[in-house]
Amino acid sequence: MKNQSNKPSARTGMVLNIQRYCIHDGPGIRTTTFLKGCSCRCKWCSNPESIRPTPEVAYDVSNCTGAKECGLCLKPPFPEGAFYVVDGPDDKIRVNWDLATDCDEATVSLCPTAALYMFGEEMTVEEVVDEVERDASFYRSSGGGMTLSGGECLLQPDFAAALLEEAHNRGINTAIETAGNVPWSFMKKVLPHVDTMQHDHKLTNPERHKKWTGVDNKRILENFKKAYETFPDISFIARTPLIPGVNDDEQHIRAVLEFIRPHKNVIDYELLPYHRFGTSKYGFLGKIYELSDFTTPSDESVQRLQDIIDEAFGRGKEAPDAEKEKGDKL
Amino acid sequence: MSTKTRRIAINVGAGYFPGLNAVVKGAALAAGNLGWEVVGIRDGFRGLLQRDYSTDGGLVELSPRIIENLDPAGGGFLGQAARVDPFHVRKVNEDGMVEEVDLSDDLVSMAEDEMFDALISVVGGRGLSILYKLHRKGLRTVCIPLSIENDIAATMVSFGFNSALSFTIEMLDRTRQAAQSARRIGVVEVLGDQSGWLALQAGIAVVADAILIPEIPCDLHTVAAKLKERMYLGRPYGLVVVAEGARLAGKPQGRTDKPSANPLKDSLSPGATGDSGEHIIQRSGQAAKTVARELQLMLPEETYPIVLGPLVCGGPPTAVDRQLGLAYGAGAVEALNAGENGVMVAFQPPDIKFVPLAEAINKVRTVPADSEFMQIAKSLGICLGREL
Repeated sequence: MKNQSNKPSARTGMVLNIQRYCIHDGPGIRTTTFLKGCSCRCKWCSNPESIRPTPEVAYDVSNCTGAKECGLCLKPPFPEGAFYVVDGPDDKIRVNWDLATDCDEATVSLCPTAALYMFGEEMTVEEVVDEVERDASFYRSSGGGMTLSGGECLLQPDFAAALLEEAHNRGINTAIETAGNVPWSFMKKVLPHVDTMQHDHKLTNPERHKKWTGVDNKRILENFKKAYETFPDISFIARTPLIPGVNDDEQHIRAVLEFIRPHKNVIDYELLPYHRFGTSKYGFLGKIYELSDFTTPSDESVQRLQDIIDEAFGRGKEAPDAEKEKGDKL
Repeated sequence: MSTKTRRIAINVGAGYFPGLNAVVKGAALAAGNLGWEVVGIRDGFRGLLQRDYSTDGGLVELSPRIIENLDPAGGGFLGQAARVDPFHVRKVNEDGMVEEVDLSDDLVSMAEDEMFDALISVVGGRGLSILYKLHRKGLRTVCIPLSIENDIAATMVSFGFNSALSFTIEMLDRTRQAAQSARRIGVVEVLGDQSGWLALQAGIAVVADAILIPEIPCDLHTVAAKLKERMYLGRPYGLVVVAEGARLAGKPQGRTDKPSANPLKDSLSPGATGDSGEHIIQRSGQAAKTVARELQLMLPEETYPIVLGPLVCGGPPTAVDRQLGLAYGAGAVEALNAGENGVMVAFQPPDIKFVPLAEAINKVRTVPADSEFMQIAKSLGICLGREL
């Protein structure tokens, strides 16, 4: 990786967003810091703005006042041909995404209505943790803390380790969300500073894993196994984003259970039913959402698979509401 | 006139359209007549960037024997690529991580290594921008427009459009018969995200009751009133043609989605931010479903949506598209022979012309308000979604 954040002891990194009051990203009330850059290309990804490791321009047409009222982006310093209008009653700006890649942050900031905006910002460890610490009282009362997510937060291992270490230094509980597709050295560097690790088991078959996520799962599973064994004090929570027709079958769920159950520090296995929230961001970024014809799984099919997990973990069928609540995120 | 070009390449961007083989055949025959060699690049640029990805090889010499036997009624001989952009090629790096890399410089140098004097690319609107960027990097190129919706502004008619139009008309005729027999109102969605040529021309051909296109934000009360009028005349069925990009009057966006004030915050952690359902991208067929549902609420008759969508991209080309395909292919070679570079072949009846790519990009051929087709539709009593 060539990202500067991976230099030893990186104190700055590429941050996508800091989200407060999250209740699904680990125990208690948490502040989730989303790092930019991902090493997978899951077709169902609901955070396409987190994939690229560098800042990128986005456009929300609903904030555009149109060429007649504004039209600033049709002139320099905006790149020639990057923005245009079409003849007709609608004079809203359209983006030529192939030519708009030359747009830098300073240029984008000239858009007066913020119809054009950037995803991604370089931040220091102190800036991030200062923001996170603002809700320290909530963490204490709820058992929450800071969660690193992405993208793939382990793609910036030095920055991630520094963030988590600083959080620990300030008495803040830490968690990460990872797909695990990184060299083991990255994971090994970060995990000493982690209290809870939520990790994805997306598909069992390596070839199908590659088809749907861009990479096979051989190294991912090796990493998880090493992590379970090397860091016995971490609480691991396995998760599967449940995509109808892709991995919502009993065989996959049972294969994951077979993989995790021998390890006592894997304390839970959560199902995250596929949803279509946030997919309009593909439009904001000029990208194509490949699962346009997929629908969310039925409550019945989710419950059927959840029953298998509950049985494996020795749990009864009580508290279905709590389990359903868990499934609201992806 | 330049006599430099001796070896040229041809490739096809994303999508299958009737007449593709005719384009390849036209270019190869015209080049052959000039004594030039022609090489086909398989699957967009993949055949050049990854020469060994296929057992058949990434490049195919378009010899006279191959061209002689190339069926102009077929298509997809060279294949296409869903991702044709050499500036963002997805690959798994040495660390096993997926990344997008810029291989545009490699592509230009590979073209030089293969001794291609020029490239003919058959591409859609976005492909034109990519070829424009490659042209600025020094690749000698001529583009042929590819648009089943006929929405590339610089050319009057894209090849494939006539075939799509013919098939759409056939389907609309069948839908009308079915609607008549079932005494219902068929709402048929056809291609046309940005422009309504296909919907308008097909709708006129079958004399639909209403045609809804992106250029005219529609008021469904007006459409319902028109349908009621027909019902009172003793005709208890109807046919409404909807372009997929049709929009309702008063809605700022083309479809029915409603962007959030803070899309980033809403979507990153949806479980923590309440109802984010408004962020859903509408799937293909949404326009027909929306119109059918809304009309059913206003009318006593039952409505039903039908989506033709990409079905119309398949099938053999019509006689018009065979001729157009051959003409576009031959026209591209003519452009190169005339020393043109960085241009798009355009059909501006009765001529084939060459339009600079810089002028061809970012322009959508929409239906003008004073279009003759609009006048014809109004004369036939077809509702266009609002009082005009």
